[in-house]
Amino acid sequence: MSNKVLVQELRRVVGEANVIDSDVHLQLYQYDAYLEERRPDAVVFVHSTEEVSRVLKICHAHGVPSVPRGGGTNLSGGTIPFKGGVVLEMIRMNRLLEVDKGSLRARVQPGMFNLELGQALAPLGYQYLPDPASQKAATLGGNVAENSGGPHCFKYGVTTNHVAGMTVVLSDGEIVELGGMAPDTPGYDLTGVFVGSEGTFGVCTEVVVRIVRLAEGVKTMLAIYDSIEKGSETVSAIVAAGMVPATLEMMDQLVIHAVEKSLACGLPLDCATVLIIEVDGLKDDLEEQTEAIVRLCKEHGAREVRVAKDEAERALLWAGRRGAFGAVARITPSYLVCDGTVPRTTLPLVLKKVAEVGEKYDLKIPNVFHAGDGNLHPLILFDWRDAEQKARVMKAGMEILELCVQLGGTISGEHGVGLEKMDAMHLILSPDDIQAQLKVKRAFDPADLANPGKIFPAVQEVSHVQ
Amino acid sequence: MSSDLAALRERLEAQVGAGNLTVDGAAYAVDGMVPALVVRPGTQHEVAEVVAACSEAGAALVPWGGGTAMAMGNPPRKLDVVVSLERLDRVVEFDPDNLCITVEAGMPLGRLQALVAERQERLPLDPPDADRVTLGGLVAANQSGPSRLLHGTARDWVLGLRVVLPDGTRIHCGGRVIKNVSGYDMNKLFIRSFGTLGIITEVTVKLLPIPATRATVLGAFSGFAEASSVLDEVQASFLLPEALELLDPAASDLLRPVLGLDISGAFALVAGFTGSQSTVDRQVRDLEAMVASRGGSSKTFREAASDQAWAAITNVQGGADARRVVCQVAVPIARTASMLASARTRAAAQGLTATVTAHAGSGLVRAAMLPGANQTEAGALAGLAAVTEALREEAVGVGGSLVILQAPPPFKARVEAWGKPGSSFATMRRIKTEFDPQDLCSPGRFLGGM
Repeated sequence: MSNKVLVQELRRVVGEANVIDSDVHLQLYQYDAYLEERRPDAVVFVHSTEEVSRVLKICHAHGVPSVPRGGGTNLSGGTIPFKGGVVLEMIRMNRLLEVDKGSLRARVQPGMFNLELGQALAPLGYQYLPDPASQKAATLGGNVAENSGGPHCFKYGVTTNHVAGMTVVLSDGEIVELGGMAPDTPGYDLTGVFVGSEGTFGVCTEVVVRIVRLAEGVKTMLAIYDSIEKGSETVSAIVAAGMVPATLEMMDQLVIHAVEKSLACGLPLDCATVLIIEVDGLKDDLEEQTEAIVRLCKEHGAREVRVAKDEAERALLWAGRRGAFGAVARITPSYLVCDGTVPRTTLPLVLKKVAEVGEKYDLKIPNVFHAGDGNLHPLILFDWRDAEQKARVMKAGMEILELCVQLGGTISGEHGVGLEKMDAMHLILSPDDIQAQLKVKRAFDPADLANPGKIFPAVQEVSHVQ
Repeated sequence: MSSDLAALRERLEAQVGAGNLTVDGAAYAVDGMVPALVVRPGTQHEVAEVVAACSEAGAALVPWGGGTAMAMGNPPRKLDVVVSLERLDRVVEFDPDNLCITVEAGMPLGRLQALVAERQERLPLDPPDADRVTLGGLVAANQSGPSRLLHGTARDWVLGLRVVLPDGTRIHCGGRVIKNVSGYDMNKLFIRSFGTLGIITEVTVKLLPIPATRATVLGAFSGFAEASSVLDEVQASFLLPEALELLDPAASDLLRPVLGLDISGAFALVAGFTGSQSTVDRQVRDLEAMVASRGGSSKTFREAASDQAWAAITNVQGGADARRVVCQVAVPIARTASMLASARTRAAAQGLTATVTAHAGSGLVRAAMLPGANQTEAGALAGLAAVTEALREEAVGVGGSLVILQAPPPFKARVEAWGKPGSSFATMRRIKTEFDPQDLCSPGRFLGGM
């Protein structure tokens, strides 16, 4: 089928200006934060569930694949149109449709940024808990597709724990309601299955999220260590003491240096690692919790623990953590983020091994990660223009993922498989496990038109034949 | 027994040993349908062998854990074999330092709680019949209790599952780390799949530290409006109750001897608090003040007494009366109290005896109904069906649903157990067909006769 016919039909549905097919513009949609690039045949700006449905019916009729795109902040190639076809630009579906405080739910469109939702809810005294570090630019639809995490997952869980329902459009254009405002919708938990499906089941066009009251109080601490082992031992010690902080984040020296260069948050440059620890909830015991944590940090070798005195100091600490990926980007042309996850108690060991991998391949690997969840983010620095170095990076990355699996962990905690980790899937899934997952894929998307060529090497092979 | 089943029996006997197979299925009847064979495999591998044998023989099977949720669902379309998981009750791995435990699916929840409590940990799920419900059953039937307010349900605590698919293939889902997006979230597919996609054989859950202290405040009110307004006040406050139950006068009267209440005919609002001494004390104080300001009287239970109060409340609608109809109505949270009132009024109008309770902060109302004293069997059945259908219509009207938790066969013949499927049903059907093309796993039991 010629592109022209497709583009004409699409324009008839969404209007002339809402379909892009010029080379220059299409180039903007051929990449995301991962390393691969593929150009789409057309980009369609969509504005409603019905419009998405009409667009997908056209694609279905022509056997053309499609990929929804939000902020494009995913790190695994989730939004790259691997097999070409249509990119659905979701960014204009960005309205907050309803806030029901009594029922603790909000209905939102998928193009809204995570941070925007937070800013809309805060004046009402409410919040949506998942807060990926990229929340400024990450959309809720993207959060749903990737089952995003964030610093507050240790206590509050990930996206799937906070999505109660959604409207989705399947690849044949059918509009389907999953879950909703009421709990325990009879039937299979398709909401739970859809979250984290990376756009391969269909397009989410509306989300019902759980909201909760803002915490009455919050205390944020910065624990400073001269040894990375001591820092990671403290993480397990806090949990072993029966405490459940809202966050337990860790940054090592390389990251601290990068953050200080670009954001100047007042982090000490001569330490090995820092922990950002936050406790929240009722104000009555926050002081005693803070004191207990400070004591534990010191017992486990912290040279200093600072407690943020006010909101400004707290904001500065978080600006450093949230800006870490961006700051690292300033000191290197490229980096690969490994998203492996391990049982928390193995952190000291895995960090040592990651450092060994760095030495073996002669690569710099700073670490910034969600220590409470055991979710690592070693950032392997390199220069994309150096093919030989890039090859070493890929090997080092795979070795780190293998390490995580050996320690009882997995290959991705929150960034998804996408194109990036397809080859690592066999590390954790048997051929039978993969076949079972493909059954679900077929049930949602029998024609394999929804973001094809992702997650499973098998699907990719199938789609190459044609 | 047909010759096919006789051959299957021989094969199963060879797999699990004669002592672990019986042809007396009376104790394992599902909605009055008695299985020809009951088999008790001893390992996950044996479960796979049994399921493969049934698949090859075209025999329909229903998995059975503690049996606590077997009254749910539509009657099976066909039932040849019950696969009991009672022998799969071992701990596979307990990792207290990482707040995580893996057990076989037949492990009773009560035993798991006792075991992890030795390391000051707990799984914060509290369904009725906690001593009998098994981990596999809890997951398959998505059983929950009052603490779902703060802690959610099985879907928030399951990290990994092992499942035997309808053709006998063994797969695993998830893992034992608390964040995992490596492929699809297959755990969610099997949680509340009611045995229709295979048999869950192993469950990995995350755990929480046991809180330093716990207390329960029961506020008793002579009127519904007062109870309901305190409920609203609690929900708009900073308080973080673990559980928040609303009980109608019939339920609170049943609990009077256990809880030592001094007023009868009261609407009761019960809140459970856990955590540090200072936060629990403050929340108890705040709630007592809210209750008093609306003219209610409150009673506070601490530590073991608090646990006993919750055990009584959670099981208040239990009982052996086979005529009992219990349904659960799910609505948006803000409509919970009014739905409780509606269920109570409708049951009374039909002359039924009803106890109605609600997970008031979670949008779930449970009504347990029995025929009234002077009703004929047919009259009572018509009344029970009328109330259930009316409540279902009301719930569906606000985006909710009604499911039957327990009912005698004549009632189930009249009222659909799950209600009408929605727009996602075609996708669900395709999933069922992908996994169970012969339709042999709990056939017909689930939504839409799936």
